[in-house]
Amino acid sequence: MSEKILEVKNLKTSFYTHLGEVQAVRGISFSLNKGEVMGIVGESGSGKSVTSLSIMKLLQYPGEIKSGDIFFKGENIVNKKNKEMLNIRGNEIAMIFQDPMTSLNPVYTIGDQIMEVIIRHQGLSKKKAKEKAIDMLRLVGIPSPEERVSNYPYEFSGGMRQRAMAAIALSCEPDLLIADEPTTALDVTIQDQILKLMKDLKEKLDTSIILITHDLGVVADICTKIVVMYGGLVMEEGTSKDIFYNPKHPYTMGLLKSIPRLDLGEKKRLIPITGTPPDLIKPPMGCPFTARCPYAMKICSLHAPKYTKIDENHKAMCWLLHKQSPNMKMDTGVKRGVINE
Amino acid sequence: MNKEKDVIIKVRNLKKYFPVKKGFLKRKVQYVKAVDDISFDIKRGETFGLVGESGCGKTTTGRTIIRLYDVTDGDVIFDGTNISTMKEKDLSSFRKRVQMIFQDPFASLNSRMTVGDIVGEPLDIHKLASGKERQERIYSLLKTVGLSKEHASRYPHEFSGGQRQRIGIARALAVDPDFIICDEPISALDVSIQAQVVNMLEDLQKELGLTYLFIAHDLSMVRHISDRIAVMYLGKIVEVAKSEELYKNPTHPYTKALLSAIPIPDPDVTHKRESVTLEGEVPSPINPPKGCTFRTRCKYAFETCKNKEPSMKNLGGDHTVACHLLDNKK
Repeated sequence: MSEKILEVKNLKTSFYTHLGEVQAVRGISFSLNKGEVMGIVGESGSGKSVTSLSIMKLLQYPGEIKSGDIFFKGENIVNKKNKEMLNIRGNEIAMIFQDPMTSLNPVYTIGDQIMEVIIRHQGLSKKKAKEKAIDMLRLVGIPSPEERVSNYPYEFSGGMRQRAMAAIALSCEPDLLIADEPTTALDVTIQDQILKLMKDLKEKLDTSIILITHDLGVVADICTKIVVMYGGLVMEEGTSKDIFYNPKHPYTMGLLKSIPRLDLGEKKRLIPITGTPPDLIKPPMGCPFTARCPYAMKICSLHAPKYTKIDENHKAMCWLLHKQSPNMKMDTGVKRGVINE
Repeated sequence: MNKEKDVIIKVRNLKKYFPVKKGFLKRKVQYVKAVDDISFDIKRGETFGLVGESGCGKTTTGRTIIRLYDVTDGDVIFDGTNISTMKEKDLSSFRKRVQMIFQDPFASLNSRMTVGDIVGEPLDIHKLASGKERQERIYSLLKTVGLSKEHASRYPHEFSGGQRQRIGIARALAVDPDFIICDEPISALDVSIQAQVVNMLEDLQKELGLTYLFIAHDLSMVRHISDRIAVMYLGKIVEVAKSEELYKNPTHPYTKALLSAIPIPDPDVTHKRESVTLEGEVPSPINPPKGCTFRTRCKYAFETCKNKEPSMKNLGGDHTVACHLLDNKK
């Protein structure tokens, strides 16, 4: 078995607002092996971004990790002080944020912002750091990096800024890269370029990647493992083939059914998931998906189901998988495309 | 049937330039050619999709058609009347028939107005209903979009993104329009909610006989909802076809690249298909390349593309393309 780089155990994160405690993440566990690309999918408010911020320990007041453990390379980082985290963040774990327009500092040049990380973590001289910054820009595919290194963010387009963000994140060759919706703000053509870049970098540097997104197409493209989140919990976890071809949770099925398929000729009416996500100030007692689930039973609203192991890598949290549950006929939403070879 | 009568909106050589002002005297030195000479027809009752990357002029096209922007040049003929030259005070009767749904459901609703007043505002402006009748109309509109009448006294911040988009749709429906411009109505919504809104738009179209101009960058959704699709690049339309035809038989190199960039939610398919990655980025619309505007990113570009702008050629069956490669084949 390959080496575990990250292991999250029963992580709970809450935000203490004046309205009450918002339980954004309510006990999730997963692990990531070296060189693996994991996708976290879910809609807004499912807790996927909070999960990534918790791993980075970048939660801001009033957010707090309530309980749980995060093992990074075998070491628990939950109780690490901010000072210790400074050596890990940017160096061993790096992050690419969603919005490249707001996550770069507008008053520093792109080069300065890449050099800052290199000087801080690798202790290179300014001159050497600049050379490295130029190399990084070249690596992420920015044309004429020698000149571009002294540009300001406003002189870069959206796609180029996201590449610059990737250059910053990768400049210290992190072991783990967390990309939080890295392509959501970009056009499909630029998204395609950025995804290719991430695939290349993974090959070259053997970085483990956590990709957070709501776009199932994106995860199908590059992830080997997928975690589906809803209402602050992991609903289903499995390899990308498990999730796309053998979904076991009604929420995963619902997601697959609600997106139009470009590659299949037929034009069918979309099947939406009715209703809206739960309020996490007062999370439902049972399974959070009960209110929107077409197969909900009495027990679903009373008790949260436990995980059922389907095979080695595939597990789901649903009462329907319990051995005493009725045998229901379900439309899994799986449509296999035709592969032209 | 009379063919002319079938067409609800006719756009001919539409241009919209925005001046770039410089210096103390704010002299107009350059123009951003946001929409540069486009023509298309939309038939009554159909959904016409408009796709392209950001900055290609698709939103400007929508806003110019509805005269939120003045037309620089060209004609917009709605049901036989030329809108492009109409005076502002005459536009009100036109705007009663053409409405718009905006992209951002958080910015397009006034946060200080109740939902009832937001939906009722078009009724007030066009003096369509007042008093009890207005109230009834608001309730029935809310019901049409799947909200209840209790929602009328609430404020927008009490609603989720999908619900707000429903409010925006109710507002657009208030004046009983024939034609609705949907400017990226679902891009700000979650996947599970997108399908709800798209299905509702389809149902409303069937019930009320609406015509849509559907602007979006999400090609898979556009293909799902549209009957015909126009692909825009840098202010120009490069290809128009029936949506099935466009996906089965994309002809312009840009359309091909755009289609292959869309990730497909199926691991086996996505790993095996070949993709055409577009290098580089969209050039500035202030100084678009001469000749074919796409030639700077096109791998098939040859000499003619530099000098001559390609014209729209009909491939038969409502499929038109602007590309010099087609001449070569013949």
